Amino acid sequence: MLKIKDLRVEIEGKEIIKGLSLEINKGEVHAIMGPNGAGKSTLSAVIAGRDEYEVTGGSIEFEGKDIMDMAPEDRAHAGVFLSFQYPVEIPGVSVTNFIKTALNESRKARDLDPMPAKDMLKLMREKQALLEMDKQFMSRSLNEGFSGGEKKRNEIFQMAMLDPKLAILDETDSGLDIDALRIVANGVNKLKNEDNAVMIITHYQRLLDHIIPDFVHVLYDGKIVKSGDKNLAIELEEKGYDWIKKEIEA
Amino acid sequence: MTEEDKLLEEVTSAEYKYGFVTDIESDTIKNGLNEDVIRLISSKKNEPEWLLEWRLEGLKKFQQLVEPEWANVHYKKPDLQSISYYSAPKAKKTLNSLDEVDPELLKTFEKLGISLDEQKMLTGVAVDIIVDSVSVATSFKEKLGELGIIFCSISEAIQEHPELVRKYLGTVVPQSDNYYAALNSAVFTDGSFCYIPKGTRCPMELSTYFRINQAGTGQFERTLLIADKGSYVSYLEGCTAPSRDENQLHAAVVELIAMDEAEIKYSTVQNWYPGNKEGVGGVFNFVTKRGICHESAKISWTQVETGSAVTWKYPSCILKGDNSIGEFFSVAVTNNFQQADTGTKMIHIGKNTKSTIISKGIAAGESNSSYRGLVKIMKGAENARNFSQCDSLLMGDKSGSHTFPYIEVKNKTARIEHEATTSKIGEDQLFYCNQRGISTDAAIGLIVNGYCKDVLNQLPMEFAVEAQKLLSLSLEGSVG
Amino acid sequence: MKLQDKLINSFEKFGQSLSGSETDSLRKMRTEGIEVFKNLGFPTTKDEEWKYTSLNKCIKRDYDFGAEFSLDIRSEDVDRFLCTGIDSYKLVFVNGVFNASLSNTTQQDKFFVSNLKDAYEGNSELFNQYYGTIADKELSMVGLNTAYAQEGAFIHVKAGAVVDKLIQILYINSDSSRSMMNQARNLIIAEDRGEVQILERHQSLSDEYVFTNSVTEISVGNEANVKHFKVQNDIDTASLVDSTFVKQGTKSTALVDTFVFSGELTRNNLHFEFTGEHAEAHMDAITLLKGSSLVDHHTFVDHAVPNCQSFQMYKGIYDEKSKGVFNGKVMVRKDAQKTNAYQQNNNLLLSDFASIDTKPQLEIFADDVACSHGCTIGQLDEEALFYMQSRGIPLKEAKAFLMFAFAGDTLKNITIPELKEQLVNLVARELKVDLELN
Ligand SMILES: Nc1ncnc2c1ncn2[C@@H]1O[C@H](COP(=O)(O)OP(=O)(O)OP(=O)(O)O)[C@@H](O)[C@H]1O
Ligand SMILES: [Mg+2]
Repeated sequence: MLKIKDLRVEIEGKEIIKGLSLEINKGEVHAIMGPNGAGKSTLSAVIAGRDEYEVTGGSIEFEGKDIMDMAPEDRAHAGVFLSFQYPVEIPGVSVTNFIKTALNESRKARDLDPMPAKDMLKLMREKQALLEMDKQFMSRSLNEGFSGGEKKRNEIFQMAMLDPKLAILDETDSGLDIDALRIVANGVNKLKNEDNAVMIITHYQRLLDHIIPDFVHVLYDGKIVKSGDKNLAIELEEKGYDWIKKEIEA
Repeated sequence: MTEEDKLLEEVTSAEYKYGFVTDIESDTIKNGLNEDVIRLISSKKNEPEWLLEWRLEGLKKFQQLVEPEWANVHYKKPDLQSISYYSAPKAKKTLNSLDEVDPELLKTFEKLGISLDEQKMLTGVAVDIIVDSVSVATSFKEKLGELGIIFCSISEAIQEHPELVRKYLGTVVPQSDNYYAALNSAVFTDGSFCYIPKGTRCPMELSTYFRINQAGTGQFERTLLIADKGSYVSYLEGCTAPSRDENQLHAAVVELIAMDEAEIKYSTVQNWYPGNKEGVGGVFNFVTKRGICHESAKISWTQVETGSAVTWKYPSCILKGDNSIGEFFSVAVTNNFQQADTGTKMIHIGKNTKSTIISKGIAAGESNSSYRGLVKIMKGAENARNFSQCDSLLMGDKSGSHTFPYIEVKNKTARIEHEATTSKIGEDQLFYCNQRGISTDAAIGLIVNGYCKDVLNQLPMEFAVEAQKLLSLSLEGSVG
Repeated sequence: MKLQDKLINSFEKFGQSLSGSETDSLRKMRTEGIEVFKNLGFPTTKDEEWKYTSLNKCIKRDYDFGAEFSLDIRSEDVDRFLCTGIDSYKLVFVNGVFNASLSNTTQQDKFFVSNLKDAYEGNSELFNQYYGTIADKELSMVGLNTAYAQEGAFIHVKAGAVVDKLIQILYINSDSSRSMMNQARNLIIAEDRGEVQILERHQSLSDEYVFTNSVTEISVGNEANVKHFKVQNDIDTASLVDSTFVKQGTKSTALVDTFVFSGELTRNNLHFEFTGEHAEAHMDAITLLKGSSLVDHHTFVDHAVPNCQSFQMYKGIYDEKSKGVFNGKVMVRKDAQKTNAYQQNNNLLLSDFASIDTKPQLEIFADDVACSHGCTIGQLDEEALFYMQSRGIPLKEAKAFLMFAFAGDTLKNITIPELKEQLVNLVARELKVDLELN
């Protein structure tokens, strides 16, 4: 589904991703871990098409197609979803209005008519229930004054509404309380199927207790330096990153 | 960067959608401004002697004044001698039903999406349509009549209710107020008149659509709205004008009188022709709007301004009575070469008077948008309060945004808070929307509408929807 | 004869006797200056920039303007107007004339502090390079000053030099026989990476009227740092129009703090202009007025290049019949992207007869900017007052404390402890706050 080859990314002349390769197939869950500043969010933003970052080498294919020159909205229409580490506030725009616009824009891209209001409402109710969200929430301004946990839950709600092929969750677990973590993880698991894939960026094992990864990668200094199965995450939780750093230097 | 330029190009290239000319036979006076023209207008309209005197007085004042230059706008001054000061559709003078309305005109309204039938049937809005200065159709009159509410063209009011007109005309905006108000006093041809009797709540939104139609005619409406003690009225004014290559002058005067405990809500959606992408043509919109609040009265001005080549407009409140309230909610969008200098004046005279100002300016293309406001607390205005928030959003590096607030306080018990910010749409907001599959122009529409929400919320429902569309429309092409 | 005509005539008659020979560029500047003044005259309230401040009262009076050397002033007379307790360089002018015995100048390799007239005569190359190039020549008050200015402070800090002591500039008027009009002129040059701190004050010792028209030009080189403090605490027969122009290079920092406590009429024109990127400008001011004093603060920050920042914090407390004006204008020109401009103006009115007119303006032609201004006018927070009273603090003291806290913000950028302490004391005294309790 996603094929990244020898990716190099710079920002303001500083190289951040330094030759990274990664392949994610449908039906798989990949976890990406790594110390602060390693380049995890950069990687996710580049996949989603943020043009602030300059790609200086390598390629990204999504479903067999080079997406490097695609606009972010076209990538979204193709099925890429990014749950932001820091979701952006848009004052005056309600959650309902936002998601309605997003969903209908995606439909328009597929030559579908806008979803009838009735169906839209039904779908929203369903996903709201899945994530155990309060109704009032829907009429508030997008992310404005939301608590950290509410922002993250709102991201997953949008993911549920848009039903993407590839979901990238950038530290979705941070800021969530214990119950919310379970609810959100449950939501992700329910949405998970044979045809889609998830890339989870996290620092802790706790989310991976709920969403079991098929692969765990360590991103360090702009490269994937180690890959393994779910046990690698457990090992990291126990030992930290020092031993990996030593391994690399050795 | 080139990506962004392309985007800006797209965003700034929505051509005026309402640009078409209605072919109605018009009765037009020869161009020029002098005493004879004014006598002619007055006699054509069969006006009483006192009004002719009043108009002539206006002309005299006008001749003593000079065109103001302090506003932050630049334009070629209109040649007032080359304007025709009277243009009435030649159709029958009185109409009893829609059938009698010129079918061309009805088509025009359909294109505008404001067909009379629709208005009448669906929204329950009473519409008094003004096309080139003469009222041609009035509806819901009977229903309002039962409550003693008078809602008619000002010409009709001059004939039917001369005592009311004479008592209040020019009391809030005197002939000598400013250059264009003086001109209006001399030559106004029509406008709306409204009187709400004591203790009456007007059961529907009163609405007028203005249009400038005949090429080369200036529009000088005069609106007079009186809310007697304890009454309430919400008044909507919507304006569109067809495309014209030459600039057209629009110099209206609106006077509001809110007696003790009365409340007037005055909403405007202004979408006069802004000129084309090169800045050719468009309406000069030089308007004087002012209301006076007596004891415990309230006046709210809400405006969404997306049109006109040059706008110069400061809907104001004189808070004369104790405990009176003035509000001003404004969105002004300029694009291409439009210029808007708009804001409000809040004059606090009475005790415990309050005013609120929320202004949102959005400038795109090579346009310039200025907020100019005055908050004045007079010596006797104990415990006056004012809150002002003036925000500007800039799109593209060729536009300009300016803020000129004047605050004058002569009473120590006043509490004033004024804030202003200028910013551009956040890249991160756009990216967030893009990531969710929303195209950049749709995202701009969404973000701008969110940005203006505090103002749009003040508009009555049907108007708010139209205003939202206009906002998106004037900033980009695809959102409907 | 009207003051304006008198000034013009007198220039025609005696102008030749002012420094600057016939062929000199200074002579040319003087002539141009008087031309500008002749064309524009004194500003009137019809002029938008002078809408709220009328000079009428000041200019209706008759003044003499021949500077005169006087001997009757001793250092004890002036010491109380200086920041004491620290070692400093001093430039003292009495009745418009430099007084060497009261001053403490220096002429070192790295910097020198001296009288402008000496600089002109001694180092005309440097003088010509800067003099008159920073001030806005189109302003009538600047024109008038340029025509007549003879003496004033000249401070030159060479590249990389740090002036080791505070420099104090004091203009004294002691002439008790006649009303005086003075044209003070300062030129401050800090070359790249130079650092200097300056305190300026104008003080009258006589009961006669004084009208001072002062112009200061400050050039701040790349990465240089200049702090200029103005204390305006003159008697109520003294009026001051102070026009200060600052031009800043890349990565430089400049600060102008103004502390106003009295004076009949005080008008401060403060212009900042950036010529290099990543420069920072700070303007803070406290205005504590009583009587029928009038203070008009006009600031203009011109962001013509990208990536610069400006911060303005103006606080005023107005009592009795005093009047305050604040007019702050921030201009962000077309290419000045990433400008960050912040402006705050907060005022308290304490009396039924005090008034304030304020006009914060933003003029913005670049889109990627963060600009804001805020303005408040009001009284002290009732709740805070009540809270303090409920803890047993009498209302009067409670009010004084809150006002002290309100004004105190603006002292934050003063790093010389002695200067800060003296200003804090001055504010406390004006507000009748007992600092022992604080
Ligand atoms: N816009 C930017 N400008 C300059 N540097 C940036 C920018 N964005 C990211 N960087 C730098 O790139 C590096 C990688 O950042 P990134 O956000 O991808 O890290 P991360 O792995 O997600 O870290 P964390 O675990 O803390 O979220 C950091 O050193 C960061 O400071
Ligand atoms: Mg991150």
